[in-house]
Amino acid sequence: MSDKKPEKKKRLKTAEKLGKLMADYYTESAMVKAQKKPVAWLSSVAPVEVCYTMDVFPIYPENYGTMCAARKLSAEFCAAAEAKGFSTDLCSYALNNLGSIYLNKGPFMGQGLPEPDLLIATEHACLSMAKWWEELSRHFNVPLYIVDAALPVGEGLSRHHINYFAEQLKELMDFVEEHTGNKFDMDKFKEVLGYSDEASRLFLEIGGLRKTVPSPISPIEIFTNMFPIVTLAGKKEAVEFYNELYDEISELAKRKEAAVPNEKYRLLWDLFPIWYNLNLFKYIEEKGGVVVADVYATTFGGRVDISRPFEGLAERYVGNPLLSYGVQQKTELYKQMIKEYHVDGVVFHSNRSCRMASMGQYDVKQGIYEDLGIPGAIFESDFVDPRSYSDEQVKDVLDSFFEILESRG
Amino acid sequence: MMIKDFQERYAKRHELAKGWKKEGKRIFGYFCGYAPEELIDAAGIIPVRILGSLDKVTLADSHLQSFICAFGRSCLDQGLKGTYDYLDGMVTSKTCDIMRNMPGIWSRNIEIPFVGYIGAPAKRTKAARGCLIEEFKVLRSKLEEFIGKSIDDDSINRSIETYNESRKLLKELYEIRGEDNSPLSGSDFYHVVRAGFVTPKKEYNKMLSSLKRELISSKSSRDGKVRFLVSGSTFEDVNILKMIEEAGGSIVADDLCIGSRYFWDLAEPASDPIRSLADRYQMRIACPCKHPSEERMERVLEEVKKYRVEGVISIVQKYCDTHLFEYPYMKDVLQKNDIPFLYLETEDRMGEEGQFKTRVQAFIEMLR
Ligand code: SF4
Ligand code: SF4
Repeated sequence: MSDKKPEKKKRLKTAEKLGKLMADYYTESAMVKAQKKPVAWLSSVAPVEVCYTMDVFPIYPENYGTMCAARKLSAEFCAAAEAKGFSTDLCSYALNNLGSIYLNKGPFMGQGLPEPDLLIATEHACLSMAKWWEELSRHFNVPLYIVDAALPVGEGLSRHHINYFAEQLKELMDFVEEHTGNKFDMDKFKEVLGYSDEASRLFLEIGGLRKTVPSPISPIEIFTNMFPIVTLAGKKEAVEFYNELYDEISELAKRKEAAVPNEKYRLLWDLFPIWYNLNLFKYIEEKGGVVVADVYATTFGGRVDISRPFEGLAERYVGNPLLSYGVQQKTELYKQMIKEYHVDGVVFHSNRSCRMASMGQYDVKQGIYEDLGIPGAIFESDFVDPRSYSDEQVKDVLDSFFEILESRG
Repeated sequence: MMIKDFQERYAKRHELAKGWKKEGKRIFGYFCGYAPEELIDAAGIIPVRILGSLDKVTLADSHLQSFICAFGRSCLDQGLKGTYDYLDGMVTSKTCDIMRNMPGIWSRNIEIPFVGYIGAPAKRTKAARGCLIEEFKVLRSKLEEFIGKSIDDDSINRSIETYNESRKLLKELYEIRGEDNSPLSGSDFYHVVRAGFVTPKKEYNKMLSSLKRELISSKSSRDGKVRFLVSGSTFEDVNILKMIEEAGGSIVADDLCIGSRYFWDLAEPASDPIRSLADRYQMRIACPCKHPSEERMERVLEEVKKYRVEGVISIVQKYCDTHLFEYPYMKDVLQKNDIPFLYLETEDRMGEEGQFKTRVQAFIEMLR
């Protein structure tokens, strides 16, 4: 979501603005320590709005993992974590992060991330996060709050699932207050939620513009443009940025201008990009395939009902379909997306690092094929750790997939 | 009652279950030690635990990637082969990421009339308790709908008593195992615990009582054996334990999923049995998929002290994220307390015995 390398010349006018947002964020992150502003490390799908409400600077080790991967540092970092006893089979976001801490190195001027004063993680995205953050808490000896969700996988949300999460959000505010001295303010909270909701709305609508044939935005552009929704949800800047991006993309959509020339096959992508090889999308594009839909990006945008601030924010996080859907619901969701986005085929990236989201892909693929006749391809890789990546094997899978698509005409 | 009766019980589990079916009984399966069996039992349904097997996996590979643990893979494989066709339903509880995805895959491919999923919270807070109570209430009414009649508090209380009785007996046997010159070995105890997953608890309690009576009057020698605590995830191959014993070790305490973690905590009687169950399942010795993880380590340290353990052996499934994540931590805690530690990563039936044996022997040599 933050790698800029694969695209040399930017097609989108807003790219410059995005570059500036990112640069500002990282400049600030380099200065927060000197400014004595509290720093929290957050896991993905942790409620960043809490940080913006409480004036805490959020850092995302996962986002950082994607950067280390893009800058080809992740192999060294993962190995450093393994040297401490962490199994090579564990999530490489975690290994990369832990390794960079042990080595005290990183992609910014050779340095690691600013050290946390607080740690906030969820356990409902996957259990690895809770365990990884527990390790961070032991390493830095700083307080940790785990936001937990009773996820009714495959069963549908009930009031008590929302209430449990909402209660924890309140506890989390107290936790931050206690450890930083910063006071909670309801008006500020509502303002932050307003921005978060608006940025989400725009981000989801931008994603929706990919229903246009040909798609007005490329997958690399989508993943790159996730940065504000992940990192700046709750900031005015994110809303301003997505407003501009929306205008630009909807203009392209109106003019039927293709983001990728030669759009022959419209593809649904499950789930993570390979962060050290975003060029794989280029390979797909050379074959006439364009990824026009994915759930990975969309799960970071969730609406918030501001009239019930805590419950509303809880719904944004607990309602995330990626997390609470079982195989059947996921299949239904994909089938619906296939229709709406005029999809011809599905590519499943089986990510060795993420058992939670990869498990069940074979059944989803099968279900989609049985019900809609839409073919799928599955390849295995790791999203951050390149050490066992086989470009050849991945391309073999894709090549035969395109043969199937071609034979279908 | 002899150990081999327990062994047999387990070996014949599917046959026996089919027999209960013929008598018109309903049977439910569950995977983890976090499914509230008492509720299922109170509904008049026999709960049995679905465990791995040492048979070759043939069908699950087309549903699960190579990086899914052998336990999950084997469970699904047996399901696909029809081994569990007698089940009328299953109840799973949110524990690890594999268990979380299991019911969806299972029910898409294997016919099963009832699937109950408990989105159990991972924390030990009051808010988490409130949520778990709600989840149990939902399960209760789903069960009531399924059996077509209500499950009253009294019958839940009776089930709680039966289950508590079981746990008490298992704890007594656990103590006996830890005694000097105990007649009960660690691998024997594993057989005893495992049989309980597939035996109606009333009958099981009788088996446990009679075993206890017999053990009290016998002794065996543990001279010169190194005293171990065994910790870890599920594993199917009891030979790993046997091998430790044959190499000169003696298992005197455990922190195992198929072991003390399952039976350690009793449900305290309360006016509201659902609350009492929620308490029990929330506050039981945490498996590593729960948060925080300190308490589990503290208990390990206490057991080490209490049973004069000389070394800890951890047996963990490959690809088991939560256990693997806690391994460096455990190593650290044990090191700080000067407790020797050996770590074995298993993939069940992958021919790892030879390699394990050499390492266990070397470990024992070092401790002698
Ligand atoms: S170790 Fe925990 S998650 Fe794994 S099977 Fe046992 S109870 Fe379930
Ligand atoms: S072995 Fe580990 S990953 Fe597998 S089911 Fe048990 S706890 Fe989950």
